[in-house]
Amino acid sequence: MPVQLLLGPQSPKPILGAVVAEHGLAKGPVAVISAAWQEAEGDIGELAEVVNAPLVNLQLYRRAERIFAEDPDLYRAYRRRQDRLMELQSLYRLRLRQGLQAARQVRRADAPPQLLRAEEEHAIGQVRALDRHHLKQVEHIFADVDADIRDNQSVASAREEIEAEINGCETVIITGGHVLVLLNRLQLFGLRPLLAARNLVAWSAGAMVLSDRVVLYHEEIPQRRRDPELLCTGLGIVPNHVLLPHASRRLRVIEDLRKRHYTIRFLPARCVTLDNGSVLRFDSGQLSLSHQVSYLRPDGTLAPLDVAANSEHKAPEGAP
Amino acid sequence: MNAALDDLLNDQEPSASAIDAFIASQSFPLVDDNKITFVYRGTADQLLLRCWISGLNTAQPFERIESTDLWAVTIELPAGSRIEYKFERIANGQQELITDPLNPVLARDPFGANSVCQGSGYLRPDWSEPDNDAPTGRFESAQVNSTAFGGTRDIQIYLPARYRSQRRYPLLIVHDGFDYLQFAALGTVLDNLIHRLEIPQLIVACTQSPDRLREYAGDNRHAAFIREDLLEFMRREYPVIEESSATAIMGASFGGVAALHAAWRYPDVFGSLLLQSGSFAFTDLGHHKRGPVFDPVVAFMNEFRKNPGKPADKIYMCCGIYESLIYENRSLVPLLQRQKIDLLFEEARDAHNWENWRDRLRTGLSWLFPGPVWMVYE
Repeated sequence: MPVQLLLGPQSPKPILGAVVAEHGLAKGPVAVISAAWQEAEGDIGELAEVVNAPLVNLQLYRRAERIFAEDPDLYRAYRRRQDRLMELQSLYRLRLRQGLQAARQVRRADAPPQLLRAEEEHAIGQVRALDRHHLKQVEHIFADVDADIRDNQSVASAREEIEAEINGCETVIITGGHVLVLLNRLQLFGLRPLLAARNLVAWSAGAMVLSDRVVLYHEEIPQRRRDPELLCTGLGIVPNHVLLPHASRRLRVIEDLRKRHYTIRFLPARCVTLDNGSVLRFDSGQLSLSHQVSYLRPDGTLAPLDVAANSEHKAPEGAP
Repeated sequence: MNAALDDLLNDQEPSASAIDAFIASQSFPLVDDNKITFVYRGTADQLLLRCWISGLNTAQPFERIESTDLWAVTIELPAGSRIEYKFERIANGQQELITDPLNPVLARDPFGANSVCQGSGYLRPDWSEPDNDAPTGRFESAQVNSTAFGGTRDIQIYLPARYRSQRRYPLLIVHDGFDYLQFAALGTVLDNLIHRLEIPQLIVACTQSPDRLREYAGDNRHAAFIREDLLEFMRREYPVIEESSATAIMGASFGGVAALHAAWRYPDVFGSLLLQSGSFAFTDLGHHKRGPVFDPVVAFMNEFRKNPGKPADKIYMCCGIYESLIYENRSLVPLLQRQKIDLLFEEARDAHNWENWRDRLRTGLSWLFPGPVWMVYE
């Protein structure tokens, strides 16, 4: 059965080479997906230095750019979809801000604790419902354009080429970078089944897209603080985990209330941090190794993730 | 007074060596929450603290501590504040302005240097200091022919690290750009914010006027220079995106007036403005009291207030609360908001100086040009 290794950012100290070697994942050619680097997709020289195996760059970004250049109709349909997704995301963000603000205000209100707890849980339940609604809306927009893409000959040919290249590799490395660009390219070429059948080593954005829900977050943005947003569904190869790369830089450590809401909001998924040095290993979808990874506890504090620690993650009672 | 200074003075006549030890053991000025004690050691007939805080007397007299050559004065300063100051020393009928000999922290500006008092809680932002991990951009010098003024003008162009001539970049034009580079660490700030993905890679054109008090004071020739000469030069010579949404202009003090004036004269050209402590003096009635150099500024601002139009879609404005200009800046906020401009206004516990403007650059630049940090997880 294939394994999935999820890593944190590879700077300042890269551990990719050591991890790939330690887990015996470089016994033959290794495929690389670096579409998240966009124009710099081809700059995999440093990867070749640390991974002791021949690398096959699948060049998803370049292939997509070429197809879009050759097929203006497809590109227009794709752009239309992206524009609609951006508009939808803005509307979702508006509603989300109000919903989470209401939950925080309820939490801080002056009322008996038991009453507050029930009202806060209901408020978060409404945010969970909004998240589910958002994912459905995203799926609808994807479905509108999927048929165009599925029937497109250039996409189908490129997919065949990719399949031929990937078939010679037992392991695929997926780099970090721009998470939306990466996800779009993976979906454009319909790569989920091919990836699910292989060993995967992915870091940061690469790890995020393997989960079933991609959550954008950053609490240290210079102005206009933003709450964590669901972007869309991921590939679902590593379900029930919300992956938070760069947590040491992006998560504020002082506000437990906000993180308590992370924890409840995304249940039954577990929110886990991925920093430089972090390693998570999954075998048959089950977490089998955790190194330098923390998770958000129900009270909003961070604790080291123990492979056996599953008991605290339950959906809140009565959550809509 | 400060506790350590109190301890020293408990000894009725502290010895010179006790004073030496006290000075060696402390950082000056002495900061106790919201109380700041400035200390001077030496001879003088009179000593004054000059700190240019609007609302306080410009000159605060020191008291000489009996039987010593120490002088001290204590002022209140809210937490998080940062002010610049000098001592005015009067001795033998001679008056001189000096930096604080006991405080090594200086802020430089085109007129020299001031001592810096960092109130409790103030920290210089880490993104304003060189970061070894951040690749550095490079600078090119150029001369722009100016039809508006005649002759040529020197400019400095910042190109981001990993600049590629095949790509296209947003453009930022900076008034007093050479001063921003020298006194507000603009180059370092750009490198760091780009590295942190908080702003996109962008090209920055730094201008410097030889006669800023005249040219920046609502002068139509200057606006024409920016629009017709400089902007066209940049579009001709560098791969800049020409849409207004990717074209911004900024400045501080009179430079803020110049930026606003250029955008007002040429609407739909500059999509964003970054205005720091703009000298936006105006009158509702009668004559202003800021001196003749402000006459053209007031004329422009009065006209602007009557007919603001929409100089930009997005504006970041900031001002120190210890500046007299805070009134004019605050007054502009509702007016700009009525024009449906996406406005972010920020006040700082600081005054009219380059380090105040440096400390606001992260918020301002990332407001005008949000970087991809929300989507990028490297």
